[in-house]
Amino acid sequence: MARIGVFVCHCGENIGRTVDCHGVAEACKDVPGVVHSVDYKYMCSDPGQQMVKNAIAEKGLTGVVVAACSPHMHEKTFRRATAGAGLNPFLCEMANVREHCSWIHEDREKATVKAVDITKTIIEKVKRNVPLNTIRIPVTRRALVIGGGIAGIQAALDIADGGREVILVEKGPSIGGHMSQLSETFPTLDCSQCILTPRMVEVYQHPRIKLYAYSEVESVEGYIGNFKVTVRRKARSVDEDKCNGCGACTQVCPNKKIPSEFDCGLGKRTAIYVPFPQAVPNLPTVDRNKCLLFMNRAKGRPDTCKKCADACAKGAIDFDQQDRLVTEDVGAIVVATGYQLYTIGKDQPKDNLKGYGEYGYGTIPDVIDGLQFERLASASGPTSGKILRPSDGKEPKRIVFLQCIGSRDPQKGMEYCSKICCMYVAKHTMLYHHKVHDGQATVFYMDIRAAGKGYEEFSRRAIEEEGAQYIRGRVSRMWREGDVIKILGFDTLEGEPIEMDADMVVLATAMRPQPGIDALAQKLSVSYDQHGFINEAHPKLRPVETNTAGIFVAGACQAPRDIPDAVAMASATASKVLGLFANEMLEREPTVACVNEANCAGCFHCERVCAYGAVEHKDIKDRAGNVVRVIAYVNPGVCQGCGTCQATCPSKSVELQGFTDEQIWGEIQALGV
Amino acid sequence: MDATTPAVAGGFEPRITAFVCNWCTYTGADLAGTSRLQMASNVRIIRLPCTGRIDPMFITKAFERGADGIIVSGCHPADCHYNAGNYHARRRFAIFRELMDFLGVDTGRITFSWVSASEGGKWRDVVNDAVTRVRALGPFTDYRKLVVDPVATATGVVPPEHVGKEVPA
Amino acid sequence: MTELRELARRLLSEGTVNAVLGWEEGPRGARPAFVTTPEGADTLIFDHRCVHNLASYLSPRRPHLKRLGKVAMVLKPCDARAVAGLIRETQIPRDKVVLIGVRCGGVITDPDSTAPLTEATVADRCRGCPDREGHLADHTVGTAGPGFAGPSKRAQKIEELAAAPAEKRWAFWQSELEKCVRCHACRQVCPMCYCDRCLADKTQPRWIESSPHARGNMAWHVARAMHLAGRCVDCGECERVCPEGIPLGLITRKIAQVVSERYDFRPSDDPAVPAPVGTYRMDDPQEFIL
Repeated sequence: MARIGVFVCHCGENIGRTVDCHGVAEACKDVPGVVHSVDYKYMCSDPGQQMVKNAIAEKGLTGVVVAACSPHMHEKTFRRATAGAGLNPFLCEMANVREHCSWIHEDREKATVKAVDITKTIIEKVKRNVPLNTIRIPVTRRALVIGGGIAGIQAALDIADGGREVILVEKGPSIGGHMSQLSETFPTLDCSQCILTPRMVEVYQHPRIKLYAYSEVESVEGYIGNFKVTVRRKARSVDEDKCNGCGACTQVCPNKKIPSEFDCGLGKRTAIYVPFPQAVPNLPTVDRNKCLLFMNRAKGRPDTCKKCADACAKGAIDFDQQDRLVTEDVGAIVVATGYQLYTIGKDQPKDNLKGYGEYGYGTIPDVIDGLQFERLASASGPTSGKILRPSDGKEPKRIVFLQCIGSRDPQKGMEYCSKICCMYVAKHTMLYHHKVHDGQATVFYMDIRAAGKGYEEFSRRAIEEEGAQYIRGRVSRMWREGDVIKILGFDTLEGEPIEMDADMVVLATAMRPQPGIDALAQKLSVSYDQHGFINEAHPKLRPVETNTAGIFVAGACQAPRDIPDAVAMASATASKVLGLFANEMLEREPTVACVNEANCAGCFHCERVCAYGAVEHKDIKDRAGNVVRVIAYVNPGVCQGCGTCQATCPSKSVELQGFTDEQIWGEIQALGV
Repeated sequence: MDATTPAVAGGFEPRITAFVCNWCTYTGADLAGTSRLQMASNVRIIRLPCTGRIDPMFITKAFERGADGIIVSGCHPADCHYNAGNYHARRRFAIFRELMDFLGVDTGRITFSWVSASEGGKWRDVVNDAVTRVRALGPFTDYRKLVVDPVATATGVVPPEHVGKEVPA
Repeated sequence: MTELRELARRLLSEGTVNAVLGWEEGPRGARPAFVTTPEGADTLIFDHRCVHNLASYLSPRRPHLKRLGKVAMVLKPCDARAVAGLIRETQIPRDKVVLIGVRCGGVITDPDSTAPLTEATVADRCRGCPDREGHLADHTVGTAGPGFAGPSKRAQKIEELAAAPAEKRWAFWQSELEKCVRCHACRQVCPMCYCDRCLADKTQPRWIESSPHARGNMAWHVARAMHLAGRCVDCGECERVCPEGIPLGLITRKIAQVVSERYDFRPSDDPAVPAPVGTYRMDDPQEFIL
């Protein structure tokens, strides 16, 4: 039988002025199950809390109702007091007679009637409360970082420097990401590789970072604190232990005309290659789609060319190497897979992307994208930093930049702003001006979005000091006449059409998430938006968490980001991961859903509505070990306690602890006439 | 007559049960209190973690227990503390509302709203509007008349959930 | 019919299945049949009196069928939607059942009737049904009549009720629901009602009062309609078996209309098509929310 204690607080005059607190306490005495009902001036004061503790001890209370302020205010206080008296804290609830009653009503009689109702409602709930215990989950204190760009590098280093082991998985042959391709960075114009390369080396040498380059995440199982990740280590055809990175193999490879991914197709590489000189790890990789030996093998012909193997003094070339699967236990995962640019070619990866036929779909050789310009401007690039046209190697004297290509364009591209283009176009005009002193840079823009420290000053400098001509408007068509690109556009400030000639055009194309992000997101059970960007758990308050506990997101895989943003996010994820790893056990509120195994029919409506992937399938076996039923199991480590599963369950076979049907039913009953 | 005007003596005062989510509407109602926004005293709030937790059975049960009106309120779309509970609730209650309408329940008795934690004023308006509307509709005697219980009438044994109810002979 | 019998005989004699679930001629008309021997296949029939939705026998709540091991089931296009629902909701593994689709041009309401299939006798759900054969089938047999065009009488009744004032609708439904004796035949026959422990049987708490009074009846039929929203395949079995003749098909049809209008959803015989309740779109209509 329930033995409930009711404690009505006057909150000084806050409640007492409009509610007859003593009357409420007296009225509650008549409720079956209530064995103690008192009122007091300040229930949250030390003497007030002592009254609760004493009553629990003296009257043997099985439940405590504090009729006072909002539970958001003092629920923790009174639950702590309840626990202090040896009663389970979840047997204490608050009846909100201040915010929801005394403060919003002036009629004392009505307010008192309502306060009695509110208190009775909570009394009925508490009668049906059961003791709950904090859930403790063991935590594997190692992290997985997916993506070896600047965000992944920063997250890995911060976590490793914080004393925890990190597995860093990069799908390409080297870490570094897009930042390693950049020439100089805005708004300081410092050399990108100069600031990045030391960080890459630091990753490689860090005793607590295990780097899996040329690898991809194959599968992910488990939940916060307890993920089991399988990584596919793709065959490089080079023995990592034997190779000393001398580069002899790449020099003898006969297939030297392969467009280099690192140089965005503007330079060439061999079939066995190191993507760029500062690559980490400094290991060559055989591109099996381009290597003569593998092309012959694919056609069933005998191996012919083995020049690289012959040139290798260490015998490190291994044409028979296979992909390997390695499994790692981790407690947290950081997703930092970065971005790609909207392609300027005709073939588009998605139906809603239409490409830009009016700009030649990339068929005019001197129309390039922003990353290609970075490679041209980079000292390590195919032109050693000279701005030269891809078509004939001449220096362009008239260069035109078009902003918002694929961004802010729901018809043919993305409705969102790619955020970084305004700044990098301003940077490009400056780099151009520094290298081609007699050249003229022209920019077609929609708006200049330069929100960031030093950003506005930087873009003003491009216009005012570095001679860039900015035209507000769009270009409607471009075509080639001889070696000149004809441009037809419209100046929306002057309100008149513009025709101009250019030697080279750079399209500032939209940032999109990496291809395959949807498949990865599905493996991780994290949600993503219609563009493929990973969704954060809350746009304001939980910007680097995903809706799957223990999985965090950093950099441009969440939304278009510049380098400082990506690094800040990465450090934020590291601090979240280190916070999670602070204790061996993760403690969670016990207000999670729990399945009644006897009644569950296994329809998995709950699984479909669960935003966190907390519902798993559980096999019920007979004595012989045969699976006789498959039912739902809610992983308490993942459940966040929203209760949508319970409202959806036809047979109410899943119960949200703390808000069970029994409790709510009791509350509704209490409000009856 | 607005909702806060004291009812004339013997006038009908509706009883309204509100099912609200903890993170937006409950907190918005807290804010209304903190801001001392005066409103009708006819509403009794039952706190749930999320609108996703609100079962249509809560509403039928509340009507059975004599509620004249119902309020269901939670986070605005995209604001749900649990990402999607309100979206699931939105579908559930869109269907439920049409079902109730089809069965002849005046849907003016059931109010659905999104009230965020910062919308104390909106909460007051939702409460006052609901009270005014339901007051005009009068007591939900249709549902209360369903109390007729042949078992109770025949045996004189009143099931526990009927205790305190008027059981017509 | 020969095609159906030969297929059933072959499946049984080759041991592909241990039983074929179909229809046979009973003493009073068409009735469900469990054929377990190759010879028994000759009793199988399919015509316009085969109204029963046999999918409800596949429900795990009926273990006697499970004990038979792998079974074949004869199904009309509408029954296929129920089987798809059971597969979607992980109640039956697809590889545990062989599906024999029969082409169908409509059925009548009463399996015991000797009436021919005409515009006057055809079941309301068959009016306007576009499916002559289902997509979810391992074998498809038979020939189909041309089917029947609308309009559905239920749709007309729903419109009529919608046009009436709320009090009229309330009165109509109270007079109908008052008849309910809570035999739960509607639940037992429904292929999509397969919970081991129904909410209506729960006592702690008791959301749905169990005795057949107007209030409990209301709660029961509201709960049933909500549980079937977006899941009901409109097989009409609930209304057919109701001993009190309550027009339950009006409620299921109404909900189906709501789901179709609001979420552009129609019951599908593709198990991969998700049901509309349990999913959402960020831009779902919300005109009723303040």
